[in-house]
Amino acid sequence: MKRNKGMIIAFLAPAVSIFAIVFLYPIIRTIIMSFFKIDGITDPVSKWQFTGLANFIKLANTSLFRTSMWNLFRIWLIGGVIVMSLALLFAVIITSGIRLKSFFRAVIYLPNIVSAVALATMWLQYVYSPKFGLLKTVFSKLGLTALSKVQWLDNDHKFMALLLAYCFGMVGYHMLIFASGIERISSDYFEAATLDGADKLNQFRYITMPLLKGVFRTNITMWSVTSVGFFVWSQLFSTVTADTQTITPMVYMYMQIFGAGNSVTERNSGLGAAIGVLLSVCVVAIFWLCNHLLRDDDLEF
Amino acid sequence: MKKKVMAIALASVMAASLAACGGGGGGSTTTAAAAPAETKAETTAAPAADSKVDSGEAAPSGEGGSLVYWSMWEATEPQGQAIQEAVDQFTADTGIAVDLQFKGRTGIREGLQPALDAGTNIDLFDEDIDRVNTTWGQYLMDLEELAKAEDYEATANAGLMAACREVGGGTLKSIPYQPNVFAFFYNQAIFDEAGITEAPKTWAELDAACAKIKEAGYTPITCDDAYIVCMFGYHMCRLVGEPKTEEIVKGGLWDEAAVMTTAEAYADFAAKGYFSDTIASNVWPAGQNQELAMGTAAMYLNGSWLPNEVKDMAGDDFVWGCFSYPEVEGGTDGTDAANYGAQVLAINKDSKNAENAFKLICYITKGEFDKRLSELSIGIPADSTNSEWPELIACVKPVMDSMNTRYPWAAGAEANADMTPIIKENFLSLCGGSIDAQGFVDALKKAGN
Repeated sequence: MKRNKGMIIAFLAPAVSIFAIVFLYPIIRTIIMSFFKIDGITDPVSKWQFTGLANFIKLANTSLFRTSMWNLFRIWLIGGVIVMSLALLFAVIITSGIRLKSFFRAVIYLPNIVSAVALATMWLQYVYSPKFGLLKTVFSKLGLTALSKVQWLDNDHKFMALLLAYCFGMVGYHMLIFASGIERISSDYFEAATLDGADKLNQFRYITMPLLKGVFRTNITMWSVTSVGFFVWSQLFSTVTADTQTITPMVYMYMQIFGAGNSVTERNSGLGAAIGVLLSVCVVAIFWLCNHLLRDDDLEF
Repeated sequence: MKKKVMAIALASVMAASLAACGGGGGGSTTTAAAAPAETKAETTAAPAADSKVDSGEAAPSGEGGSLVYWSMWEATEPQGQAIQEAVDQFTADTGIAVDLQFKGRTGIREGLQPALDAGTNIDLFDEDIDRVNTTWGQYLMDLEELAKAEDYEATANAGLMAACREVGGGTLKSIPYQPNVFAFFYNQAIFDEAGITEAPKTWAELDAACAKIKEAGYTPITCDDAYIVCMFGYHMCRLVGEPKTEEIVKGGLWDEAAVMTTAEAYADFAAKGYFSDTIASNVWPAGQNQELAMGTAAMYLNGSWLPNEVKDMAGDDFVWGCFSYPEVEGGTDGTDAANYGAQVLAINKDSKNAENAFKLICYITKGEFDKRLSELSIGIPADSTNSEWPELIACVKPVMDSMNTRYPWAAGAEANADMTPIIKENFLSLCGGSIDAQGFVDALKKAGN
């Protein structure tokens, strides 16, 4: 038994120590930092000024940060509904035995391979362009002059423009996860259901959906984690300086840690850490909710 | 139950570490956005990871007098190429190896301070004048003695050296190169066609010029979201000066008369149809590329890097003009004030090779390679003996020479990071005509609460 213990320690030690250094230490440090005012992110601890909950209070009182949280929530909810429904729809179609399955799968997944910079440039400078944009051309061809004159990137439409462009790129990824979940369900169930006279819709409602619960949970968790880290698209849709329609907590965090735009602005890494803590709490809450609302342990197949 | 607890614990660890990583290095998320200003911008598609380019024979850093130089440029940019040439020549002449690392905008912005804090051996680095002297001020070596020993200032731009001393707290801690100035750039052909013989010096003259341009069938002024706040800042500064503008922006003093006066001036221009129809939705570089360079709009308030950025679109026959932001009635500041500055080179205070580093700075910022940099990047030379400016920006010389007062970026209007987005989008709406002056002021006040 004694020897066994030694072996256990020997084998566990590398993993545990790496885990502690790479994961645990930064987390604890981030949490501690959130209670201090810190100019530079690598300032020595001696330069930190303890401010208690001041960072969190400041965040709560800053309208720009509240806006960024609101934007994040909208991206998560509206974007989540759009992406999950489209992804599920495509996954069902693709696994239904259509021809050219891999071709369609590749096409829908394609935006994931293209760099976000290229995609965003396409949306910003071409699709939404008020001069020669795709939307403008299509709407004016259809005779919808009012719609063709809309400036999709002005303040009133920018958020939806951003969300649409972002979702376009995300559907393929979640579709793949759904598709693999559907393919895991044995075709016996569907055959039996067909023999019993169930139509496609009922098969989806009573077989596919219940058996996809676990996949739903995976997808929602993945979606939440990527949404919380929403940064690149926001930066691309508002070059140099943020704006209220596209700002997310991550962008706000960047502004606080590295300075905003081209100006030299006040920096506070403690505030950035506080944002990190808040975001983590959000993700944990969502994960906990998903686990409770979407239990799949009652079904075995 | 245990499993669930574990699952939650693991998920929280995952999320927290994600956030922690995000905090530690936004750059690792491949921050990438095309940069509006070659010289100023911070969001170039620049991998935060070391895009290390050794200059061939780089010796291990710190040994035998070799130098380590972190640059804000990319190796493929004109500036990067010119610096590489200067470094190669320096090594060939002196035998001193230089480990030249092109970090890119985000790379240096996010990575330099942590590297210096960790004691990385970096002898010299470059970035924007304000960031180097303010944000990284504590890492800089005083260069007064070295400059005197090399008689550096005999052929340096006096105004820029003064600017460096000013931001360096009264002493010289950085050496400027690749100077720039922020002013109105215009299409000379449109001015000629509209019959404007002289560049506007006052707001009333600008008004008159815009009217003529509009009559000639062109858009008088365009802008992009990235630069629109600069217009607000300049107008405010012309009215009440830069320190006051910064005070208003930082303190949320939106009831100050200057804010309303500025808003009214722009609302007036918007009502007269002087701004591009799409100004409210121009995401950089739509306005500068699709309107100004394409010859449908006449003016754009931007940095002297603009002609270089759009040269391929504008074509060889595009003749540039430049004038300083006009004076406004009853204002404190004249046309001799603007946001002008430079990239600067600075030496790490802990460097053991300061003399060699300064020699390298001289190579980059003087004579042949300063000229080369100016040619390649169509930029302003830093060496006063390089009196021939690239033709595209020859129009900037009188403006640059007339400068006496220096504004920081956006003339101080972006000093409050929490307000910049709000000023930006409401000013865009104001220029687009969807809100009036009162609406603009109200929106700022509301956001300040």
